[in-house]
Amino acid sequence: MKKSIKVAFAGNPNVGKTTLLNHLAGTNLSVGNWPGVTVEKREGFLSYKDYDIHFIDLPGIYTLEPLSEDEWIARNFLIEEDPDVIVNVIETTNADRDFLLTTELLEFGKPMVLAFNMSDEASRRGIEVDAVHTVELLDIPAVKTNGRNGEGVDELLDSIISASDRNHPPKPVVYGERVENALRAIEAGKGNGRIDKHALLELLSGNDAGIEQKVDLEKFYRNKIGNIISDERYAYANGLHQEILRKKKMSSRDVTDKLDKVLLHPIFGFLIFLAVMFLLFKISFDFSTPLMTWTQNLITGFLGPLAASALTSLGAGKWVLGFFSQAIVGGVGFVVTFVPLIATIYLVLAYLEMSGYMPRIAFLMDRFMHKLGLHGKGIIPLLLGFGCNVPAVMATRTLESKKDKLLVMTMIPFMSCPARLVVFSFFAIMFFPHPAVVIFALYLLGIIIGLITAFFLRKTAFRGKLSHFVMELPPYRVPRTKTVLKIVWVQVKNFLARAGTVIFAASVVVWVLLNTPPGLKNQSDSAAAYIGRAITPVLEPIGIKDWRISTSLIPAFLAREIVLSSMGTIYSAEVPQTGKEIEFWPALKSQIEGLGSAIEESVVSLFSPTITSLQADSENQNLVSVIRSSFTPASALSFMIFLLLYTSCLATVAVMAREAGNKFAIGFLGYSLVIAWVVAFAVYHIGSII
Amino acid sequence: MKLKTDRDDKASTSDTLLSKGPNRKRTLKELEVGDVAYIVDFSDHNDIAKKIEAMGLRRGKKVVVLQRLGRGILVKTSNSRIVLTSDLAKNIEIK
Repeated sequence: MKKSIKVAFAGNPNVGKTTLLNHLAGTNLSVGNWPGVTVEKREGFLSYKDYDIHFIDLPGIYTLEPLSEDEWIARNFLIEEDPDVIVNVIETTNADRDFLLTTELLEFGKPMVLAFNMSDEASRRGIEVDAVHTVELLDIPAVKTNGRNGEGVDELLDSIISASDRNHPPKPVVYGERVENALRAIEAGKGNGRIDKHALLELLSGNDAGIEQKVDLEKFYRNKIGNIISDERYAYANGLHQEILRKKKMSSRDVTDKLDKVLLHPIFGFLIFLAVMFLLFKISFDFSTPLMTWTQNLITGFLGPLAASALTSLGAGKWVLGFFSQAIVGGVGFVVTFVPLIATIYLVLAYLEMSGYMPRIAFLMDRFMHKLGLHGKGIIPLLLGFGCNVPAVMATRTLESKKDKLLVMTMIPFMSCPARLVVFSFFAIMFFPHPAVVIFALYLLGIIIGLITAFFLRKTAFRGKLSHFVMELPPYRVPRTKTVLKIVWVQVKNFLARAGTVIFAASVVVWVLLNTPPGLKNQSDSAAAYIGRAITPVLEPIGIKDWRISTSLIPAFLAREIVLSSMGTIYSAEVPQTGKEIEFWPALKSQIEGLGSAIEESVVSLFSPTITSLQADSENQNLVSVIRSSFTPASALSFMIFLLLYTSCLATVAVMAREAGNKFAIGFLGYSLVIAWVVAFAVYHIGSII
Repeated sequence: MKLKTDRDDKASTSDTLLSKGPNRKRTLKELEVGDVAYIVDFSDHNDIAKKIEAMGLRRGKKVVVLQRLGRGILVKTSNSRIVLTSDLAKNIEIK
């Protein structure tokens, strides 16, 4: 029987906690929710020697004093979940600040390990940690770690295990005499058992058991109890800093300060920001398009026929082959084609976030944003929205005021995510000579609608003064390729899992409806056609007249890319089955060569100054040409706008409901539907005239 | 409302000129890019002040103003860089 250990990781924001955890738990890292709240919880599992270790990554916080949701979560976890070991990750170069949290954690009297992270940065600055002295001082192990290359991680793991085995509290934190006396009196008054210092201090600041002591102390110090306790903690933290860290005189060149002079320059900084945004957009497209074409070929020209001939030789009937070519290759395979695009976008966003540039955008843009009644800090969730709306909605909790939070939340769903881009790139390439311009315009339209929405809400429902904000700008860091790739892989895995479950299920349902009632001759008599025609009157004014498209829109409420898999399923029934045989080895060889030239093309296109890809080159694919017959350029544009603006994503609506209530989420869904319809209507009619 | 926000945006030179009494406490809000100062106290010990302190802007700490953009002020203390808006900065007394 293995022994299980529950380990809580605590630390200030941006200290590299998650990266360390990545090293420890590897790919067994998962994202869940804290019970009762909707903040993401990262946890990992590791089986090591005779132990099953469960790591929990607490939110990054500066203090345990519950000032906002993050601190509440961390505090409640430590009190209610009773971890076996607390690992306090400290940014060595910022230890004087980080030791406040360390002091507060020590108050719990639980086995603890200090991880002095970013040891490389520290030694560059001549900062030394006295690990031996830490053991003498606090009776807990101190380990030097480096999240960038995993140095010290093994030692950290061993320290965690020995701390758990030893199960020994750290030396108690001792504050000033008067405060200590007060705490002793409260503990004695409580009678039974030992109470940890954190709990005693909470009693002292409350109006219950510690009220008498609180009044005495406040009278003596002529200060509020909260300030008295803070002062004691800061004094202790300062002491720790002086005892544990040594600083050699060293001339330190600070790259971050130099970079910030340019990147945060009132004029150049803004221009660079625009250039960065353009570059992100360009990389996302140009790099991924050749790879996407290759994937499409791989599925429809190699894997599909190969599996079909295998099925035929196994004696599969017409029915099975139809299901395979329509629901699996047509539906699921169609969506999987877009994996390169999704991977590239996450790659780009991960670099933006991990390099430290993201919060700087907030600082740069606050000048403009706050004129519109918006927070500069609110731009971070909005940028995350381009990756996925769901975590973006969750990220609004970093905003202190509820009004700001709700305001930003109403903008996020208008930020176009990769799921939408998948649909856009398909339609834009098919109908427009300059697809990149069309897609860029769609992104811009989303942003504008978001801004207008926020502006009106600020003037009406969310009136009030714009609140202040405070945030840290971490130093610039070059993200490790390995870490970035790991993040991208997790997202791609999620997408593939969705393709294998939700998207597959939707394709199957659509396929079944398409073939109901059985023995059908004409598809337009099927149940699917009947359902599609039922909602066509609503969609006709915006140019969507074909039942096959209306039908595809219904399951797309689960996730937008399903519109493509559904259309793929429906339309591929009409594509004549060529049933061509392929020869395995030559075909495989040509696939591999194709991959080589696709990678070459991806890399080369990055060096041209404009967005080169997304040229209409998918002319002669059967499925494409069949779908093309259902649209005109105007109705394709209107269709894309409708899908851009209407919150056609169950996950987003669900997370909004959890964060802001059902009424808010449903209300917003209705609003987005109306706005989407109105804008699509206008564009369709203007477009039809032109 | 609008007028007030606009005024908050302007660098605080006009404020300084208007009230240059000997007893007036100087605040972080009045500092220009490149200025160095020491934090004396917070004029209001509310929750947000507590958070700012926990982030490293504490009494006795040396701060350097690195950049000002609109209502935002970027300061460096020890090894951390913190952006705060001017309505928070005016709550921080410096010398």
